[in-house]
Amino acid sequence: MPVLDRIGRILAAVAWLLAILGGVVLTAMALLTVTSVIRRELGFGAILGDVELVELGAATAVFCFLPWCQLQRGHVTVDILVQRFPERLHLLLTSIGHLTLATVGAVITYRVWLGLGEKLRYGDQTFILGAPIWPGYVAGVVGGLLFTLIALQSALTPRQQPSPGAAE
Amino acid sequence: MSGLELTIAAFILMLVAIFLRVPIAVAMGVTGFVGSWIVRGQPTAVLSQLKTLPYDTFSSYSLSIVPLFLLMGQFATKSGMSQALFRAAADWLGHRKGGVALAAVGACAGFGAVCGSSLATASTMGQVALPEMRRYGYSNALATGALAAGGTLGILIPPSIILIIYAILTEQNVIKMFAAAMIPGLLAMLGYMLVVALYARIRPDAAVTAPRVPYGERFLSLAGTWPVLAIFLVVIGGIYLGKFTPTEGAAVGAVATGLYGIWTGGLNLTTFVDCVLSAGQTTAMIFLIILGATVFNSFLGTTRTPQALADWVAGTGFAPMTILTIMLLTYLVFGCVMDSLSMILLTIPIFFPIIEVLDFGMTPEETAIWFGILALIVVEVGLITPPVGMNLFIIHSMARDVPITATYRGVAPFVASDLIRVVLLVSFPAISLALVRWLF
Repeated sequence: MPVLDRIGRILAAVAWLLAILGGVVLTAMALLTVTSVIRRELGFGAILGDVELVELGAATAVFCFLPWCQLQRGHVTVDILVQRFPERLHLLLTSIGHLTLATVGAVITYRVWLGLGEKLRYGDQTFILGAPIWPGYVAGVVGGLLFTLIALQSALTPRQQPSPGAAE
Repeated sequence: MSGLELTIAAFILMLVAIFLRVPIAVAMGVTGFVGSWIVRGQPTAVLSQLKTLPYDTFSSYSLSIVPLFLLMGQFATKSGMSQALFRAAADWLGHRKGGVALAAVGACAGFGAVCGSSLATASTMGQVALPEMRRYGYSNALATGALAAGGTLGILIPPSIILIIYAILTEQNVIKMFAAAMIPGLLAMLGYMLVVALYARIRPDAAVTAPRVPYGERFLSLAGTWPVLAIFLVVIGGIYLGKFTPTEGAAVGAVATGLYGIWTGGLNLTTFVDCVLSAGQTTAMIFLIILGATVFNSFLGTTRTPQALADWVAGTGFAPMTILTIMLLTYLVFGCVMDSLSMILLTIPIFFPIIEVLDFGMTPEETAIWFGILALIVVEVGLITPPVGMNLFIIHSMARDVPITATYRGVAPFVASDLIRVVLLVSFPAISLALVRWLF
């Protein structure tokens, strides 16, 4: 299915870009925090609202990373039982697993979208800087939507693979 | 249906879903969502909570330490620290029986001081040490087993992502948890080294010795590991002395490691992108599980099961040690098939209230710290126990020609040393608490 393939490649490219953006945000958070610490230690005072900026950045970065993680099929599953099933059943369950991710992704994206509407309407701001919170929700909607689409794509093209690693 | 029955039903359904390959985060989140719906009689409250919950969870300041430490660990893998550590360890230990494997374990411990993740440690040190061990003709079982086990030192020796999550869940002081993990972490290293030494004596053909290196060279290569020591001291020391918060410490560590990587030339635009993508993938995976666990735990809270269970356990009059043993065994059993973070997030909300009402003859805080270390170690054993042990898979993926059964065989004595250590730590809480008592 060439159309699906092309869509898949576009999704992958956007997810990659978004993940890089998340990485830039994360690096910026680290640099901002270090600058703030150095300023504080030297007696110039911490950067005003540094904690808030880190919080806003963290949420943005995590949302940006979600589609990439799904593209790498990196969400944790327990494969030990289904590996013993016949191949077709295994692939079917793998598809269903990705479908559940897509469903949950769609619900969450819709809820965050509603949340974005509320943040815009009431103009929620951070405590110290008075920075608007809604950009974090925009990242949520964009990341959530792309995550959902990629999960759908994974459901259509299930692969047998050992579960990639967990954290720690 | 009572709250307890509902919880049990929810747990069973969730585990069935997980074993049918529903992603763990989804299984927890959906079970929690449906459970809360049943308890409240309508889904509106949870649905409305979901509008802000993802943002609120992902923007948590205390959790933002996780991606920062992951980034630091990724930078460390590209900065040449792993090579320097292994070189120094091999110069000092290589001429002993099983020396190259001893060096691999020692280098893993050193790398654990700048990396909070067990998989990153196993894969980084594996890339450096596995070719060396094979060059000296080490048996495949010993080489892969030592590296898989050594990888767990990445998380036992602070910083440690799992300990951070535990500290947040149970509202403990992160730096006290780190302090408590130090001695058990070093004990783990010594235990693994002892295993290698015994192995090399029982099977001398499995582990050839490398030539002895003169002391001048040894000190030179030891000096080459200064960045690891410096970054560890600045990050952990800075947090301990209150110079900065744990999150700030992680940021300092990430920037320092990144700068060092740029200086050594290991970190350039290409490898930076690799680092970011890798840290990002793990971050997303962790935070999605945390989100699912948050929904599940808010359901648990509405059923009041944890308190009821804790009261019930306290009322039965079982010896606290019996209950602790049951919990640790549960971790060991589930660790064979589940990943460590999911286990901690699923069980701590249930286990911790029980631990809190049991009397182990320590202050509540000391009990919490001690239990955290025990839980950390038993879930980490899960990383090297067959059939599903992530570290085994990582090392296996680097040595495709080694059958996974050889790795299973090779890691068995290391698992045994883990179990002995757990018994020691359970019997003597002071091993975990001594440093905390001395420092704070």
